[in-house]
Amino acid sequence: MKASKVVVCVGAIITCVACVPALGQIDVEVGPPAEYIATATPVYFEGRPAYWYGNRWYYRDGPGWHAFREEPRYLGEYRMHHREPARVYYGRAHGGGFRRW
Amino acid sequence: MRMPRMTGLALIAGLGLTSCATTAKTANGTQATNAAPSADDRASAELKEHDWHHHRGGVTQFIAMSLDTLGADDAKRPQIEKVQSDLHACMGPSGRIERDLHLTLADGIAVGAIDVAKVDALIERLDGTAATVHDCSVNALNQLHAILSPAERSELAEKVKAHWQVWRHVNHEARAGGRERGGRLAELARELDLTPTQVDKISADLQASPARPSGKFDPGEAEAHVQAFAAAFAADSFDAGSVTPANVHLALHGARRMAHFYETVSPELTAEQRTTLARHLREHATHQPVVRAK
Repeated sequence: MKASKVVVCVGAIITCVACVPALGQIDVEVGPPAEYIATATPVYFEGRPAYWYGNRWYYRDGPGWHAFREEPRYLGEYRMHHREPARVYYGRAHGGGFRRW
Repeated sequence: MRMPRMTGLALIAGLGLTSCATTAKTANGTQATNAAPSADDRASAELKEHDWHHHRGGVTQFIAMSLDTLGADDAKRPQIEKVQSDLHACMGPSGRIERDLHLTLADGIAVGAIDVAKVDALIERLDGTAATVHDCSVNALNQLHAILSPAERSELAEKVKAHWQVWRHVNHEARAGGRERGGRLAELARELDLTPTQVDKISADLQASPARPSGKFDPGEAEAHVQAFAAAFAADSFDAGSVTPANVHLALHGARRMAHFYETVSPELTAEQRTTLARHLREHATHQPVVRAK
């Protein structure tokens, strides 16, 4: 019977632990728009490019977009040092965007 | 006694599972979040302005522009800048024709009479040179693939798709004469301070007589090409020479639509507005990349 208890408890714990990664992210139907992706520089975090958009960090995982529920420390520190990720301006006022880096 | 104890444990476990499942559903539940900005976003507006006017290299242009914001490792910058410069060099002949096209339109607008035959000839030449860009850029693209990490390659592919999506919208899907906020006519009205009567007339003229289709540009074919490039480039091995290529006539389609817009708009403008518009087009003519010596 002891073994049964252990099995039940371990099962419950494993299931709950498996839930934990989901707490940090939100699936979103719509990520940043194409014109934003085309003009904004991402920050690479845990091997994925992340975009700061609308006061939230977005990243792709497969075909869909996700957002971090809470800002990861690394990305928060990035924003503290850089304010916001760089954008490129391609209009007349910026010479067609031909300035680099 | 044993049974109730087991039942209790099962209940606790069940509650735990249910609560976890509920939490996961909430945390992972799909939200229709489309975080705000966009219409008022200056960088996005300037990208549209660029895409209305610059059509020098088709998909290669999207690739070169994507390198501006790839955010790759700093240590790779010199190599990436070199590749970007090589891509710009491949687009050089198209860029020079595009500059002549802008200047021809500017000169015509300034005097109130655009030389349509000269404009058409330049657009045909642009289509011809744009076709050579792909072959020229094969080596640079292969080098780029070797330089980038898998995550960077994948992101470059996504950026190319994003550029294509924006270009397709502003140069193909947007309704001729449409007055939507941030659209071509709305932006022109803002730049030149057009009166409501002028906007009405230009909108009606553009709707009545949209740019004639080139017959060569096929948005489905272009879409397939962009997707094929993106999939191939994101993969571990890549040979730019084997990606179905060549000319999907983006330059032809975009340049023709741009020229037609200005040919339609010009007669409705005052002398002062024509002067301003001609100046804007001359500024676009100066937008040429600095190409490094090889």
